Amino acid sequence: MSGLDHVDNYPEIPVSLAATSTVLKTGAWRSVRPVIRIRTAPCSAYCPAGISIPEYFDHLKEEKLDEAHSVFMERNPFPRITGRVCPHLCEQGCNLAVATDEKPLSIRSIERWLGDQTADLPHPYPTEETGKQVAVVGAGPAGMAAAYYLRRSGHKVTVFDRRESAGGILRYGIPEYRLPTAVVENEIEKLEDMGVEFRMRLALGTDLKLEDLEAAYAAVFVATGATGQRSTGIEGESLLEPGLAFLEAANRNLASLPGERCAVIGGGNTAMDVARMLQRMGAKVTVLYRRTLAEMPAIEEEYERALEDGVDFNWLTQPRKVTKLGDKLLVTVEQMRLGTPDESGRRRPEPTGITRELRFDGVFSATGEKADTAPFPDRLRDSHGWLDLDGDGATKDPLVYAGGDLATGPATVIEAVVAGRNAARAIDAELGYADRWPAEPPADTVSPAEVNVTYMPHHDRAEDPPAVTADPFAEETNTLTAADVLGEIDRCLSCGYCNTCGTCFVFCPDGAILWDNGPRIDHEFCKGCGICVNECPGHAMVLVNEREVSHA
Amino acid sequence: MPERLLLTGNHAAAYGAMLARSEVISAYPITPQTMIVELLSELTASGRLDAKFITVESEHSAMAACVGASAAGARAYTATSGQGLALMHEMLHWAVGARLPIVLTNVSRAMAPGWSIWSDQSDILSQRDVGWMMLFAESVQEAQDFIIWMYRVAEQVFLPGMVGMDAFILSHTAEPLIVHDQEAVDEYLPGFQPLYDLDPEQPRAYGGLVNRDHYFELRYKVYENMERAGQLLIDAGEEFGEVLGHKYTPLEGFMLDDADYVLVSAGAMTSNVRQAVRDLREKGIKAGLLRVIAFRPFPVKQIRQKLGGRKKVAVLDRNMSAGHSGIFAEEIRSALLGRPDAPPVYGYVVGIGGRDVRVETAHEVMNDLLVRDEPEMSLFVGVKGLPIGPLRSDYEIRPLEPLEVMR
Amino acid sequence: MRWVVPEAEHMAEGTLGCQGCGGALSMRLVLKELGQDAVAVLPACCWSIIDGPWPVHALDIPVLHTAFETAAVVATGVKAAKTIQGKDTTVVAWAGDGGTFDIGLQALSGAAERNEDILFICYDNEAYMNTGIQRSSSTPTGTWTTTTPDQRPEARPKKDIMGIIAAHRIPYAATATAAYPEDLEHKVRTAVSIKGGMRFLHLLSVCPPGWKMEADQAIEVMRRAVRSKVFPLYEIRNGREYTITHWPDDLPIEDYFSLQGRFKPLLGNDEMLELVRENVEERWQTLLARHERSHSGAPA
Repeated sequence: MSGLDHVDNYPEIPVSLAATSTVLKTGAWRSVRPVIRIRTAPCSAYCPAGISIPEYFDHLKEEKLDEAHSVFMERNPFPRITGRVCPHLCEQGCNLAVATDEKPLSIRSIERWLGDQTADLPHPYPTEETGKQVAVVGAGPAGMAAAYYLRRSGHKVTVFDRRESAGGILRYGIPEYRLPTAVVENEIEKLEDMGVEFRMRLALGTDLKLEDLEAAYAAVFVATGATGQRSTGIEGESLLEPGLAFLEAANRNLASLPGERCAVIGGGNTAMDVARMLQRMGAKVTVLYRRTLAEMPAIEEEYERALEDGVDFNWLTQPRKVTKLGDKLLVTVEQMRLGTPDESGRRRPEPTGITRELRFDGVFSATGEKADTAPFPDRLRDSHGWLDLDGDGATKDPLVYAGGDLATGPATVIEAVVAGRNAARAIDAELGYADRWPAEPPADTVSPAEVNVTYMPHHDRAEDPPAVTADPFAEETNTLTAADVLGEIDRCLSCGYCNTCGTCFVFCPDGAILWDNGPRIDHEFCKGCGICVNECPGHAMVLVNEREVSHA
Repeated sequence: MPERLLLTGNHAAAYGAMLARSEVISAYPITPQTMIVELLSELTASGRLDAKFITVESEHSAMAACVGASAAGARAYTATSGQGLALMHEMLHWAVGARLPIVLTNVSRAMAPGWSIWSDQSDILSQRDVGWMMLFAESVQEAQDFIIWMYRVAEQVFLPGMVGMDAFILSHTAEPLIVHDQEAVDEYLPGFQPLYDLDPEQPRAYGGLVNRDHYFELRYKVYENMERAGQLLIDAGEEFGEVLGHKYTPLEGFMLDDADYVLVSAGAMTSNVRQAVRDLREKGIKAGLLRVIAFRPFPVKQIRQKLGGRKKVAVLDRNMSAGHSGIFAEEIRSALLGRPDAPPVYGYVVGIGGRDVRVETAHEVMNDLLVRDEPEMSLFVGVKGLPIGPLRSDYEIRPLEPLEVMR
Repeated sequence: MRWVVPEAEHMAEGTLGCQGCGGALSMRLVLKELGQDAVAVLPACCWSIIDGPWPVHALDIPVLHTAFETAAVVATGVKAAKTIQGKDTTVVAWAGDGGTFDIGLQALSGAAERNEDILFICYDNEAYMNTGIQRSSSTPTGTWTTTTPDQRPEARPKKDIMGIIAAHRIPYAATATAAYPEDLEHKVRTAVSIKGGMRFLHLLSVCPPGWKMEADQAIEVMRRAVRSKVFPLYEIRNGREYTITHWPDDLPIEDYFSLQGRFKPLLGNDEMLELVRENVEERWQTLLARHERSHSGAPA
């Protein structure tokens, strides 16, 4: 205080003249400082696409749909699709479920809502054309994703596909009741609207030659999927109907039931789709699987829905032989037992020698498909006949990429999308447009031990409600309501992402967290007690030693 | 129109608080002050006095409530006595540091143990150094008027003040009292204009932590204002005469002009001393009386002027600072110290614990004064078995012989 | 922001509270609901320091510092003045546990008994922290303080101040803690809205240095006090109607004590711990019975 060098300048009594903040810079007391730090949520880390889930949730919470959508689109252009068919690994990682007895956030359902809400939102037309042309072969999820990102970067993109319509597995492999064709068509239209050109009925290897494409385009991305039938090793294999082909026929309304009693061999998601589709067409279906439920690769939810549809499961049942018996098929199955774990970590089924015979009208195989690499020259293949690719899908030829099921064998839609995006980014980097891509999320993932679940409201997890319909082929679930979505987002801890919940602000004993639509730490006064860091539900704050700060 | 009533000192004090338009009154009953509290309760309950009356649970709280009220800009009043004043002690300091012009009436009584409700100045003089102004009333009229006079000065220097009144001799004695016209009092004592009033529009802190860099200056202002109050008391006493008909002064002389031997007294016992002075004059002894009205601020200059050049001065103290002397004597000695015309000051300790101080007592003092050579610090008058004289130096503590317990 | 807590700040930064000070946080949160037409009376307590040395001050309302034992009555005096001046200012006495449970109890009882129109808020850190951690009558059984050392920890249970207050039958009394800010804000709002009589808030306020714990656990420890029923959150209207405002879960009391070094003597003494457990349970059952009676429709 100036002027207090003479008694005449003093007030009569010790009455304050200024606020503490004018002179007491309590930040000097601090040895550690809290810092708001964007980290990776486990849901994002588990998500193959690395979608910044807490971030777009936060935008939804703030009713900023466009922002939420654009955050999402950075990592996955098809929320309407993956919001319906994704195995949602994200939910397995949810810290809430690990740290408490609560169920994980219903992330996929929110994603679906986001997709549906933005169905009519056009993709932005690229602001700056590069003049480069890129070819994409295969109009499935990988090709569509690559097309989206390449077009977004400003390239002229042409997508080729052997079928009459784009969509690949999305249109022809996944049943209508899970993923309506209208949804797929909507995405294709939006791609067309942003300038992607689709050229149909052109198959690689016959109508198109890879060398021609390489010559004509700046870059090529091939994602023709895995539709080739793999040998099941079952005697009388030719009597089996390929599951994927059946699904395609069913999606084209061309399928017919071989009879009332059907069997499906396999335990993957295709097996579930085939079994459920058959059941919905009126059959009585039995799934024959050589291991048990615990080892079954199909996502749990699909298994449960199959059960709801009335599908039977025969576990530890290995078909050995199929013979025709009049208009029936006789399937000889061997009883298996579980032995030691195999390379996938699952217990290996071992033969017991005990066999029995089962009788069906039709038997479908869904034990996995293989990629057809025939259209590729030998120089691009390895000794097993697979494509020889690096992590982003680059082949040995310059600017020729491959991805999706073609590269990995049958996998999920989201993995195909990621492959398409990765290839697009790698192509962009090679073409000199790396700056059009956002940075990758930090590797630092928030662990369940770090979160604070205290402030999470306790209410039931919101899931896609069953649709009330008499049509067995209509979509079987509905999208959540906006209220359900907001309620569900309220349960989100927002791991590693500040969703401006205000907890740090409320609990700061020093008022050193300033609030302007969000927290700002006032380091001039923050004493470094660490309450904010400890209370932050998603641990989007960390304490940093002051010495590190001053040395930095 | 002023009203003439026959009232006790206690009731007069209550009228004083009423005429001063006290706004917040907070008090705790203690004999012999109780009648003040009772009458003020009635006056506020009946609406004659528009004030909040807080029936607190202790004298400490009585003063604390006054501190709160005064800090918030209200004119605050309380009354107490003896133990109660002692209990207030901490908050008496608070009122000074907070610069709150609270006025209190203290009906002086002796301190326990043994329990005594009788007249004795020890209680009020124990508060000598807290920083309150102090006036000693002699009459029922003064018990009323000094409250008004005190507020007038207190609110100019922002220091509190207390009016001392003797237990029973004054508090319970009825005398004629002029109850002033309210409008005239209002003219003399306008409404309280506080320095601060805890206005939420001005969110300041009052009386917080002060470190060594600043405390001294803030206290210096207290000392300076107490010094200022000396002249203001004189001016305000003068004005009291102009507006309300009776002039008051910090000191009052009686037959003083040519007196060789001066008796100094304060409070109600002065009336008997005054009678003795008249008697002595009739006998041809050039006696005089100096009554101390203002004890804080102590009228040092006036004391020097009134007592300089006298042959002998006897100070009657109804109190004693053990280990030194009667407190009035002590103060007067220090005022005169080093003056070339300083008379010898003889300290007489009288009437402790309500023992009567009669006209005869004053005569005994004068008889002793006339013959005593050494100006002793303290000469005790009326201790059983002892002549007037200083404390014995050969006294030893001895256990008391056991007495038979009476059943 | 998801919290129903006002954003406006009425406490300046740069206060002298220790790191993680519950008293500072309690003040900050209380001010958010107190309103601007208010005056605070502060007896000797940590806040005598926290508010800053002259000539600075931290609060957006006037603060009158006063002597240790006088919070309730000085507030009474201030309120009397405001009333006579025709103002409706809320007058708050803001005292620590010493200024409430111990030295301030007489004036508090007096004001409560007279049903003075003031709001008395006790921020209770369960010992004389400002003087360096000496026991008060608020110090719970088994606590270490500098006057109840490890060899002779606090033997007596914490004084039941809410019981004492309830016995005065004032219109409103409540317990609260900054760990439950919305509950706290609700109670401040309620207390401010009830005019014409005495209101009392008892705020458990963590003191990391005095409780011998990490400052970043400050909220967690208060939360555990509530969850374990050591410090239940409730309201008392007119001294008779009890309402539990937050239902504890069955967190073991050890989970509350173990965060704090001051309870080392207690955690090392099974017999004493058992006594405390019984005491906590007995008080909880009493509270529960009163709550149920108050809400059963039967006369309280």
